[in-house]
Amino acid sequence: MAGQRTVNDTRVDPKRPRPLRGYAPIDGHWDEAFRPSGIPRRHWRTLAVAVGRMGFDQLTRRWQTGQQLIQANGVTYNVYGDPQGKERPWLLDPIPMVIAEDEWASIEKAVVQRATLLNAMLVDLYGGQRLIRSRNFPSALLFANPHFLRPCAGIAPAGGAWIHSYAADLARSPNGQWWVIADRTQAPSGLGYALENRLVSARTLPAVFDQCHVRQLTGFLDTQREALQTLAPNRRDHPRIVLLTPGPNNETYFEHSFLARHWGFPMVEGADLTVRDHRVFMKTLAGLEPVDLILRRMDDAFCDPLELRGDSVLGVPGLMQAVRSGNVAVANALGSGLVETAAPMAFLPSLCRHMLGEDLKMPSVATWWCGQAGPRRYVLDHLDEVVIKSAFRRPGEIPLFPAQMDARARRELAARIEAEPEQFVAQEQVAVSTVPVRTDDGLVPRHVLLRVFAGWDGHSYSVLPGGLTRVSMEANSPVVSMQAGGGSKDTWVLGSLDEPEPAAASPRPANAPESSLHPASRLPSRLADNLFWLGRYTERVEGGVRLVRALSPSLSGEEDFGHTVTLETAVQFLVSLNYLAPEFANMPIAQTRWQLSRLFSGLLYDPSRTSGIGWNLANVRRVTWPLKERLSHDTWRVLQQLETEFSRRPPTNPEQRLVSQMNLLDRVIVILSAFAGLLLENTTRNDGWRFFEIGKRLERGLEMSELLLAAMSNVPPDIDSSLETLLQIADSAITYRTRYFTAMRMDFVLELLLMDETNPRGLCFQMATLVDHLRHLPGYDAAGGEIPEALQVATASLAALRRALPEELAERDADGALPRLEDLMAKFKASLYDISDALADRHFSHLTVSRLSS
Amino acid sequence: MRYQATHITRYSYQMPVSHCVSEARITPRSLPPGQRVIETRVQVEPEPMVLETRQDYFGNHVAAFSVFRPHAKLTVTARSIVEIEPRAAADHALPALAWEDARERLASGEAHEASLAASEFIFNSPYVAAAPKLAAYARPSFEPGRPLAEAARELATRIHTDFRYEPKATSIDMPLLDVFELRRGVCQDFAHIMIGALRSCRLAARYVSGYLRSGADLQGSEASHAWVSVFIPGHGWLDLDPTNDVIPSGGHLTVAWGRDFGDVTPIKGVSLGGGKHTVAVEVSVRPVV
Repeated sequence: MAGQRTVNDTRVDPKRPRPLRGYAPIDGHWDEAFRPSGIPRRHWRTLAVAVGRMGFDQLTRRWQTGQQLIQANGVTYNVYGDPQGKERPWLLDPIPMVIAEDEWASIEKAVVQRATLLNAMLVDLYGGQRLIRSRNFPSALLFANPHFLRPCAGIAPAGGAWIHSYAADLARSPNGQWWVIADRTQAPSGLGYALENRLVSARTLPAVFDQCHVRQLTGFLDTQREALQTLAPNRRDHPRIVLLTPGPNNETYFEHSFLARHWGFPMVEGADLTVRDHRVFMKTLAGLEPVDLILRRMDDAFCDPLELRGDSVLGVPGLMQAVRSGNVAVANALGSGLVETAAPMAFLPSLCRHMLGEDLKMPSVATWWCGQAGPRRYVLDHLDEVVIKSAFRRPGEIPLFPAQMDARARRELAARIEAEPEQFVAQEQVAVSTVPVRTDDGLVPRHVLLRVFAGWDGHSYSVLPGGLTRVSMEANSPVVSMQAGGGSKDTWVLGSLDEPEPAAASPRPANAPESSLHPASRLPSRLADNLFWLGRYTERVEGGVRLVRALSPSLSGEEDFGHTVTLETAVQFLVSLNYLAPEFANMPIAQTRWQLSRLFSGLLYDPSRTSGIGWNLANVRRVTWPLKERLSHDTWRVLQQLETEFSRRPPTNPEQRLVSQMNLLDRVIVILSAFAGLLLENTTRNDGWRFFEIGKRLERGLEMSELLLAAMSNVPPDIDSSLETLLQIADSAITYRTRYFTAMRMDFVLELLLMDETNPRGLCFQMATLVDHLRHLPGYDAAGGEIPEALQVATASLAALRRALPEELAERDADGALPRLEDLMAKFKASLYDISDALADRHFSHLTVSRLSS
Repeated sequence: MRYQATHITRYSYQMPVSHCVSEARITPRSLPPGQRVIETRVQVEPEPMVLETRQDYFGNHVAAFSVFRPHAKLTVTARSIVEIEPRAAADHALPALAWEDARERLASGEAHEASLAASEFIFNSPYVAAAPKLAAYARPSFEPGRPLAEAARELATRIHTDFRYEPKATSIDMPLLDVFELRRGVCQDFAHIMIGALRSCRLAARYVSGYLRSGADLQGSEASHAWVSVFIPGHGWLDLDPTNDVIPSGGHLTVAWGRDFGDVTPIKGVSLGGGKHTVAVEVSVRPVV
């Protein structure tokens, strides 16, 4: 192996490109990039030279660019049990994993064979069970397997394809041999991450990517989509396909939304689907839409709480019966998790000969199933040399290393194996190969696992020419797991020089028009609810930002901010809006200033302060999660930018803080305008967009009516300052000046901010827009019978606003109060709340599910 | 002798249910030669959108139905006519196969189709898993060389003696070992404990749900009942009722079997809305005159 070199040899090696000098493969492990002599392997040479020329600093810069891209694209991986928000940016090493063309050809054949074999096993074990009766497969391995789902027996998926999507985890041993160490047969994850890795690596290493003739990934996804259509029952021409996700808390949610978007399938959760008359429907605003095929990213047992796991809140009750009736197909077929456990691996060589008439092309990691006497005896005699695992994969299971146990623990383990032998397998510990990984200490060897993906193409399996390479985060850790904090690499399968690659370069259809909200499909009611709240929360953020920005200059005491707001006006606004208690009005100036500055910082930075900007942002995030596949990348980036702005810590020096806050708020106003612009200019006017708009208009109406009252309740002479501030918050100061050429007058301000239906910050504008949106919702045309309540209320409220006269509203009574304005504002707000309630009743009443049993 | 079995289940909900999707295993299966089903009928009130029958993996009859109109009450009625040949209670003529031999023949996966099928019931299932405590409890009955049938018969007697029949002491969600510690429960618990003990000896045992003839002086005749069946290689399944300490004869009417209660739950379903609900069950098995 590395016999000629000492492990930590750092002598200058002229044959080695610079940043790779000092890279020392670990003794006793195969290194993917370098021969033991220290010379790059042939298929790594182009990349090694390029990285050498680049130098470590340049590589690091490119790596940083890559991570920024990943963050901007929202690529995340959720970690179970992580108290800190769970979601973690995806880690991508800048140096790809390279695989030579001929080596790939043999991997490809082996993976196709394995997918075919596992699929054939499912056909038999859920069908005639001939393998059991002929004793080619031990009955205990089937009957004791908790992933053998009896309700799935006897169902025959279209084309016999139980497995539509398959993944194998491969590792390479010191002699260069690839081994399969795990199979994924029910809902393999990683494909979306592999594609995202490619997008990033093709952009961070463009030149060498071209030089290497890396094989493209796009064709595979297209084939997969086409093959999905053949799985739909009755081979409909345009089957209606949905992607079923467990929801935003799932570890690979990012990928679900990535694939749904790429394929153009609506992404749904269990609650969005319903089974009626043995047919599956999606609940949309427009009614029930039939579904022909469900691409599920959920484990078998969770898919139907009626027939499978009763405690599942994720699935669709009655789904099994719909499948059994042949009205809907599920991919991968329900029950296919049966063969993704470790125990069957021990039997694959003989099964392969028996079922396919050929030898298994790539071995599994050596596996002994303790359910048989011979292997059990071997395992008990060689405990120190093996890893013990559950024979039938359990969630959260940790492999046991008897070599590291004390004598007593080992005895107990042996007793457990004797008591229920079929529950255990032993596997050989593989000395997994290494690959160079960039760390702050330079390039170092890390262990590597390769996940390879195969998909049913309608007749057989085809393999993605690439994959998801995962690396361990520590040199000595043999455990490679994204859950445990590992990183990933793009996987470059080299193509031949003379074979031109298909033109499609990007896995994402680059020229396809991308709307902010996905127009291709009807909107699930649940998502309409989220869009409604997205409108409300983003508007709240904007309202908060505008308020703080308009009032902050009062803290500086200087005139050169160009604003006229006084400290008294600021306090009066904040008291009226209930941000401050009334007694603040009478404090000494220095103390008032200090209190205000604390209040503003709290509003901007403290996420625990309800009604603060941070709190509203957290809610924006919460409601945006499930919308992810419906928002364009640009929209998503803008939202991320918004969050990044507020995540920076404010300077501690009060002067600096004020300046930096003002700058922050100016930037945020621009970001929010970008968000509004994207929604205005890049979005089809569909129902989802309307719900977003309705939420936004409702919220703006509420805010503006409160601001109006707050400003107007001030009395002369301070009212001028209040009105000026009000106009600034409402972005209407310039319009006022150009229109009225005069000092502040209440009736003019009311005309501009209340009556003027062309002012997008005015009250009439909000209500008129609401009426318009409501009229366009499904079921809101008067022809369909009774007019829905929300529209009735909005129409009446608009009429009342239009009837009002600014000069009358500005009349004060003997106490200086504004009874008519107050009355009008109270009615206006009540109408907005009624509209919100009516919409919730009609569209979003999600009843809770309960279970019955006797 | 011909019997009419009537099984009525009434649900009352605190708030209306907008729809429900359900499955019922409430009509007897044919079990020649002793039990022959003449006719069965399942009715659901209010009128269901679909009501279909099929056989499940274990061959039990399933009535699958869904109701898609708001309802505050749901009534499921099953009426079956069954012909039953009384069997002699066979306490004195039990097969003599030693329990270790039975265990070996099951483990070796002997070629008999029946043994192969029975091996399904050796392993853990969602409600019943083998455990050292259950193995220890079984041990006094399973002396070396003792015939399996005799040992299992004694195990049923011991459970009947050691456990108190007490409705409401347990619920189906209570872990088996907690029920074991509590030493109380209903027929479901008695059956699960016995199955767990047999499986801990690596023997094949299944859960049987059914009815008892009305008027027989037995526990569990007012609702659906449950007992145990143990597999004796070369002989077949032997029913044992630990709740009543008897070998079922003409008084027990078999409805369904599976690995545990979960496979044969009489009625289960998922409903939208409803809030809290109450269930009332009536069972009667009377001779047809």
